[in-house]
Amino acid sequence: MSQSSPSQPAPSIDFLRKVAAQQGVSPTEEDLEGALGFLDVVLPRLQELEERIPPETPL
Amino acid sequence: MSIAGVARRIRARELSPREAVESYLERVERLDGAVNSYISVRADEALAEAETAPDGPLHGVPVAVKDMIDVAGVPTTAASKLLADNVPARDAACVERLRSAGAIVLGKLNTHEFAFGASTTSPHFGPAHNPWALDRICGGSSGGSGAAAAADLAAGTLGTDTAGSIRIPACFCGVTGLRPTTGLVPTAGVVPVAWSLDTVGPVARSAEDCALLLSALTGEPIGLGENVRELRIGVVEELFRLADPVVASQAQTAVDELRALGAAVEPVDVPLLEESGTINQLLMLPEAAEVHLPWLRTRLGDYGADVRARLLAGLLLPGTAHVTGLRARRWFCDGLRQVFDRVDLLVAPQMPVVPPPIDDLEVELRGERIPYRLALIPFNSPWSLAGLPVASVPAGFVDGLPVGLAIVGRHRGEQTVLGAAHALQRATDWHDQRPPLQAPTVSRTG
Repeated sequence: MSQSSPSQPAPSIDFLRKVAAQQGVSPTEEDLEGALGFLDVVLPRLQELEERIPPETPL
Repeated sequence: MSIAGVARRIRARELSPREAVESYLERVERLDGAVNSYISVRADEALAEAETAPDGPLHGVPVAVKDMIDVAGVPTTAASKLLADNVPARDAACVERLRSAGAIVLGKLNTHEFAFGASTTSPHFGPAHNPWALDRICGGSSGGSGAAAAADLAAGTLGTDTAGSIRIPACFCGVTGLRPTTGLVPTAGVVPVAWSLDTVGPVARSAEDCALLLSALTGEPIGLGENVRELRIGVVEELFRLADPVVASQAQTAVDELRALGAAVEPVDVPLLEESGTINQLLMLPEAAEVHLPWLRTRLGDYGADVRARLLAGLLLPGTAHVTGLRARRWFCDGLRQVFDRVDLLVAPQMPVVPPPIDDLEVELRGERIPYRLALIPFNSPWSLAGLPVASVPAGFVDGLPVGLAIVGRHRGEQTVLGAAHALQRATDWHDQRPPLQAPTVSRTG
């Protein structure tokens, strides 16, 4: 089932604010920019892993 | 003085537990102004406890614990504003065990806020300063533990390690630290960072001292052999290539010593080494966000900026990230198990660089300036992810700053790891070097 997907665009600050709000958290713009700094690194690598991990690998 | 030395002198009645406690309290009073390794000192309580310390292998030995670990009646702040008034009613399980073995707790040690970073520069309690160069970091998050052990401000210390937090400060402070197999030492009464990765372990002057502390923590004796002739040691060459060449070269001298002692040394490749850092983040970030969710909702502004950003990143990762992380951990561990079919231990530079300045947390690697926190990941995450025991042992100096060698063992292989470290320390004197620390003449800044 492993297949290459197009790269996902980085989430916007507005999107992140909504996701945080849905969990009851109200970060500032600056907070979200700080978090985005981490997500910009992790998310593309997450996508690579999703594509490479052997499908039969269990939890 | 080492734990073994203090315990031996007390047993021989050359030193009383009270004298031992007084001696360390005097050093803390005189020197910790420069180092800032302690968040709280329990002088009166420690002196009183010296009179009644139980007989045991650590009878009368003064120790200190990271301020993530509960000691009854003393605030556990985690170096955070959020926990300023958090006074536990009982000891953490690991503290109970040390006390049962006769140890006396001098106080609580500085840490990166909530142990969620590797520099020990809490905005609320100030940075811990490296005893080898006070303008440099101790590493972290157990920076106070590394600094106190190096500056002889406790005979031994406890730290916690989720993604390198014992090994990094042990390396940067020129002492010995052990991240035990995940689950070996109970974490009850310790502020969690990430449930599936957290460990508690010793930071002390030598492998022998770490073995004494670990034995008290687990209740199991640890015999340290001095013979590495039967051991097959795999050298993780990729990590030697990734490190600063002068640091890698110094760490190589420790590997050469192990070879000279008779170990069979061979290069190995660890599959998915580069990916292990990402996998670790996929687990650690959401697990930490889950721990902190109530405070993220109500006290977000009370976190330091760096920890707040990491916790929010964990909150905002997609829900599938943790599942992918769990499956990828299995994938990584399957590959690593095959490496351990061929060797007994792995070795690598513990850190790719020497400790950077407190006010400049970027480092130069292979001609590029990168954040220190990114540089350390491949050197620490793989072994955390696999839950394996790892010791960081002193391996010499570059420009007067400590370099360490990581020695990684199989699941529950602490005796082999510490045995190899002990053999190395019998053949070298890097672990015996002490920082040229003087009492401060001016107030600490920064």
